[in-house]
Amino acid sequence: MPLFDYSLLLTGQYHDMLVAGLLLSLQLLAASLLLALPIALVVALLRLSPVAPLRWLGFAYVESIRNIPLLAHMLFWYFGAPELLPEGIKQWLYAGHIEAYSAIIALALYTAAFMAEDIRSGIRAIPAVQFEAGRALGFGFMDTMRRVVLPQALRVTVPPLISQTLSLWKNTSIATVIGVAELMYQAGQVESATFRSFESFAFASAAYLTVSLAITGLATWYHHRFPVRTI
Amino acid sequence: MRLNLIAAALAASALLTGVTAHADQLADIKKKGELVVGVLGTDEPATFIDPKTRQIVGYEVDLVNAIAKKIGVKPVLKQIAVAARIPELQQGHVDLVAAGLTHNKEREAQIDFSLTTFVTGQKAIVKKDSGITDVPQLAGKKVLTIRGGTQEPNIRKAVPTAEVVTFDTSQQAFQALQQGKGVGYVDDEAALLRSYAKLGPQKAKYVVLKQNLSTEALAIGIKKGESGLKAVVDDTLRELEKSGEAQKIFVKWYGPNTASGFQTRDFKFESDKID
Repeated sequence: MPLFDYSLLLTGQYHDMLVAGLLLSLQLLAASLLLALPIALVVALLRLSPVAPLRWLGFAYVESIRNIPLLAHMLFWYFGAPELLPEGIKQWLYAGHIEAYSAIIALALYTAAFMAEDIRSGIRAIPAVQFEAGRALGFGFMDTMRRVVLPQALRVTVPPLISQTLSLWKNTSIATVIGVAELMYQAGQVESATFRSFESFAFASAAYLTVSLAITGLATWYHHRFPVRTI
Repeated sequence: MRLNLIAAALAASALLTGVTAHADQLADIKKKGELVVGVLGTDEPATFIDPKTRQIVGYEVDLVNAIAKKIGVKPVLKQIAVAARIPELQQGHVDLVAAGLTHNKEREAQIDFSLTTFVTGQKAIVKKDSGITDVPQLAGKKVLTIRGGTQEPNIRKAVPTAEVVTFDTSQQAFQALQQGKGVGYVDDEAALLRSYAKLGPQKAKYVVLKQNLSTEALAIGIKKGESGLKAVVDDTLRELEKSGEAQKIFVKWYGPNTASGFQTRDFKFESDKID
């Protein structure tokens, strides 16, 4: 038995399985990120809203999501939530890729809670006088946010958001538990088919590391290209 | 999954450092006074936790106890995950694996097997209203099963176009079937009938498809090249067969009065060869 069988990783059926897993993981990352960002922005604004019940709503969202493990979210959105839907929608949904949809919803809602907090911190980093200046010019709350505060705040927020993206990327691996054929899942499949544990998990590890380093690189580049303006 | 990963890491480190052969394992077992056996513990009635005594009991446990008695040591059961069975054995964390282990040609390169201890067909169960009445109709449909065993490769072999979704435990996969997240569920016949029996009045809504996806010979896994240990395991099994004890153990766990409800025992402990 050779020590490390590269051929398994470079060609053939098992190579195809691992690559398919990697592509699906990347798709999960992209879809959940696109969904998480707008939710996060809305939640951050809710938490800063002048209306108390809206602030409570934002608070409840962030705390209830952040304090429950992602694994539980994943199982809930797969085994629990869809069962509450009306029969017709349920059957339509179950006939399709319910595993992937559930995973994307769980990942997006989970990541959004963390991103909302980063965006809120970013907004709070902008001195209150900027906001007051906006109001003095006759803008309402939303316009002041949109025209004055957010453009500055989002720039401050990008580095922590990239770091959340890194977490999101690693968290996609949890989708395995609900049968989504992503990278960890495929690595496990290749392992049980071939017993080549080391090769299959080495591929998965290298893939996670590569994408993670790319995301980190993006953060560093952004930091240099668009440094935070001293206010 | 975690066990799986740890096993993978250990396997990796051992491969890299090049662990070499050691002394006779049977002598080691006698010396330490215990026979450590990897079991699933979640696979009723092969190995499962008795709700009253909290002890692991079952068909495979009875066989293991007989082997330990023959060697003259204490049996120690260790729960392991499906996918960790072979790595755990190769690494010497367990002396034997009695965990619903299918004996097949691919695995013969990795480990040795005892005489066949159980023969089961793998079958599929579907909801009656799906209109499916035989296995080929699963083509293009979503089929659910457990991960890490032979169920998945077998369903893929039988119905190449089926979309197979796998889960960590058979309970999760079966729940997904009940919720309608797939049209079929595949498992070993004994385990499948057990899950089916648990449905109670809901049973009428399901059909177990007659056709076998495959015939599985289950056996006890032994580390490669441990001929002394294999001899003692096989001798024990032959003696159980001769004394009629094997038949009794089968009836106790799988017989007509159990949830599995097998009417006859269609195999004997006589060979370690598979087709």
